Amino acid sequence: MTILDVRGISRRFGGLQALSDVSFSVPKGQIVGLIGPNGAGKTTFFNTLCGLTRPDKGSITLDGTPIVGLKPHKVAGLGMTKTFQNVALFAESSVLDNVLTAGLLRHDVKTARERALVCLERVGLRSVADKMAGNLSFPERARVELARALCTDPKVLLLDEVMAALNPVEMQEIMDLIRQLRDDGITLLVVEHHMRAIMAICDRILVLNFGRLLADGAPREVANDPVVIEAYLGRSAEAHA
Amino acid sequence: MKRWILIAVVILIAAAIPQFMNPNGYWIRVFTFTLLFAAMAQAWNLIGGLANQLSLGHAAFFGIGAYTSTILLINFGISPWLGMFAGGALGGLAALVIAIPTMRLQGHYFALATLAFGEVARVIANVWSSLTGGPVGLSVPFMPPSVAAYSFKQLLPHAYIALAALIIVTVIFEVIRRGAMGYRLRAIRENAAAAEVIGIDTTKVKLQTAVISGVLMAMLGTVFAQVAVFFDPDTAFSAVSISIRVALIAIIGGVGTAVGPILGAFFIVPVEELMNDLFSAGAAGLSQVIFGVILIVVILWRPRGLVTIFEALRARLSKGAQS
Repeated sequence: MTILDVRGISRRFGGLQALSDVSFSVPKGQIVGLIGPNGAGKTTFFNTLCGLTRPDKGSITLDGTPIVGLKPHKVAGLGMTKTFQNVALFAESSVLDNVLTAGLLRHDVKTARERALVCLERVGLRSVADKMAGNLSFPERARVELARALCTDPKVLLLDEVMAALNPVEMQEIMDLIRQLRDDGITLLVVEHHMRAIMAICDRILVLNFGRLLADGAPREVANDPVVIEAYLGRSAEAHA
Repeated sequence: MKRWILIAVVILIAAAIPQFMNPNGYWIRVFTFTLLFAAMAQAWNLIGGLANQLSLGHAAFFGIGAYTSTILLINFGISPWLGMFAGGALGGLAALVIAIPTMRLQGHYFALATLAFGEVARVIANVWSSLTGGPVGLSVPFMPPSVAAYSFKQLLPHAYIALAALIIVTVIFEVIRRGAMGYRLRAIRENAAAAEVIGIDTTKVKLQTAVISGVLMAMLGTVFAQVAVFFDPDTAFSAVSISIRVALIAIIGGVGTAVGPILGAFFIVPVEELMNDLFSAGAAGLSQVIFGVILIVVILWRPRGLVTIFEALRARLSKGAQS
């Protein structure tokens, strides 16, 4: 069953074609990796999916509902939300309040608080629930972002570099969590620079370069695709191989 | 529990104070206006504190409230108690109309745009003299004293009405601050894009807050009209003595907290009166200069508001208890 269907999405910023005719569809319960060199359009793509950026052309369908033109809160209500690469927490609120606020999308304050504590437990941050979000370390803040996104009860979750700056143990925990979320029926799109991690957890990988979809396939196929290797390493890739 | 006892004691003291004043004297008037300005600053605090949008146009709603109930009373003999709700409705509508274009503005731009709207309201009230009486102003007609007619022989009942108004507005503020809307407003204040992405309708929440704030401010305009008995557009729609003053009271007291506007009003209103009292016989404008200096000193001493005195005290007490 297709949960997310993207058809011919394009977006231009002035002279920069940030996204160019991107199409693919994701069946429910997949973990899809999105990779590409810096500036390839990954974050623009996530912003377009969740309604922060409007595409110039193309259609996006979430669980049967067309969502292009809807505001982000509507898209969140329909079940798709994202985390922010640069971490966009409510810095002067407690960790719990950050996550609780997301729970208010579908619950009253009391239930949202219970849900928030469950989400914090899942990312391993229950113990810092009462700390001010702005006082946490960067990796911790990225996990609060994850908990907050989770607390909206998403069908599709877009994770923009939640593993940045994690140590190997923490990274393993997040990878396990991502797999658990998939087993719970959530579909995940993951942007990550850490190749080992992304190859290990993803069922499928999309490669973006200069706003175009360069490759789409299983991790092993994509890793061995000469076009992808060239995009990442340049023409002299053979010399390094 | 301790908190509730403290709140009850403060309210009882506030209720007892007028009993020791001349029921028609100068100080009960100052006391009434202090309570009224605390309530106005609290209504402003919804937008200025919770949404963190520095409105300098709240006189627009205040004036609309004062004029609506008084015009209804003069022309149709409608009790100001009912006129208060009519004014509230119009004030809310005006807040909506102003909020729709200004909501997207941030910081200084929002402040300037709202200041302009407030001034436009003042100009309209001055020019539209067939409705408002123009620059001559309006006198609230004298009605046989009764609670139903909102008319009293003395100032004393007005003091209690102002106290009740302050309590009601403060309760509304606290309920919003602690509830779902408070969480949403804090989220919008700290990161609007992230707030949208986790499902907050930022436009709707901001509009709702602006309207509630406008409704309350307009209703307080009626309370003002009934105490003042006479007012003109330059008083009721004043940028300096209404719009900027309520913002100043909330900021000096501690913006975004329920206690802040109350502390701010009990500091600013009496001190300003006292300065006028003491120095008005001297050189022209001397009282304002001294008042200005006092404000600057307070802001330098407590940049986050007088409310931080309590935090400092509490910290010192708990430190004392430990050692």
